[in-house]
Amino acid sequence: MSSLSEELVKIAEQGEAAVLVTIVEVSGGAIEPGAKCLIRDGQAQVDTIGDAKVVAALVGESERHAKAEKSQLVSLTIPDSAIKLEAFFEVMPAPPKLIVVGAGHIAVPLVKIAKVMDFHVTVIDDRLLYANRERFPDADEVLTGDMAQMLKEMNITSSCYIVLITRGHAYDEPCLRNIMHSKAKYIGMIGSRRRIKACFQRFRDEEKVTEEAIERIYAPIGLDIATETPAEIALSILGEVIKIRRGGKAASLSGH
Amino acid sequence: MAGPGACYTDADLEASKKKDSIYHQVSEFLAKGETVAVATIVSAKGSTPREVGAKMVVTAWGEILGTIGGGCGEADVKREAIEVIRTRKPRTVRVDLLDDISSDSPAVCGGIMNVFIDPWWQERDREAVSAK
Repeated sequence: MSSLSEELVKIAEQGEAAVLVTIVEVSGGAIEPGAKCLIRDGQAQVDTIGDAKVVAALVGESERHAKAEKSQLVSLTIPDSAIKLEAFFEVMPAPPKLIVVGAGHIAVPLVKIAKVMDFHVTVIDDRLLYANRERFPDADEVLTGDMAQMLKEMNITSSCYIVLITRGHAYDEPCLRNIMHSKAKYIGMIGSRRRIKACFQRFRDEEKVTEEAIERIYAPIGLDIATETPAEIALSILGEVIKIRRGGKAASLSGH
Repeated sequence: MAGPGACYTDADLEASKKKDSIYHQVSEFLAKGETVAVATIVSAKGSTPREVGAKMVVTAWGEILGTIGGGCGEADVKREAIEVIRTRKPRTVRVDLLDDISSDSPAVCGGIMNVFIDPWWQERDREAVSAK
């Protein structure tokens, strides 16, 4: 038999996002302090509050706290009832996931630095010679197969950051097509300005691709820090990822 | 699976992740039939040693896992937590770190924090899921 504490352990282990709401103070109803509601994906998964109106209000309120990734005590008046309460919204954010597409010479330092920063890191490439455990001992996952196909099948959430650093545009472009409408928080692609311009022009020529979808792509990838070595390029890419994650203002090579 | 280049195994990593979670500690105490209190900083004003959301677990014998900042404030919370475990009724404790401004204790920060102390025991923990 499962319990709330076991559910919370599972969430921590699987790295999933959730909000645990605990009633701290309440007046005007039968609810007792200590009553709880566990919210995942915008739905109450476990609830000891037992009042549908209150739970609905808490679920609604949880959204902005989950988004801000900040735990907070909130005073709420429940509509159409005499209930006033103070509830603590405990936000358990999902750890950020970095998907590195292309296991070449930039990927090696990139994965190392990303792991220092506690990202969950997945490396994918179609070449077993590159995408293997010996090359990426720190990575959480190393996958070999058709890159565009694997991306298509992945569950890409708003905590995913995708870095396209394959060995050529012939590989980047199909990958990009499969993720440009995803929920990913960040999509960056390596390449020369000329090639990127040509790639975006091909997208624009197709009616299906909106300007908005093109605008969100960070290409050329990385922050403008005059990089020279693969490790420096890796650092500039992760600098850009952190900029997006935390909302910084450093200049991106893409003009973002 | 970690390859030959790894300096840790996936199992070690999993174990350390588990230990990090305060609810894993709670779950283990509950499995042994114990009642514990979880103290959480729910709001804070001014300078406090730890952030809103920081937690500690207190056992019936006053053993503490995790920290909400140490010092006198934590000792007060521990005392209240033992009461919470005994009565199985949650309560909010206001911890005033302004009092002792002349003290040499590093725990004196000058802020005020509200700490919610919540009892957890097996039946209540299981009820939560079966009530779904």
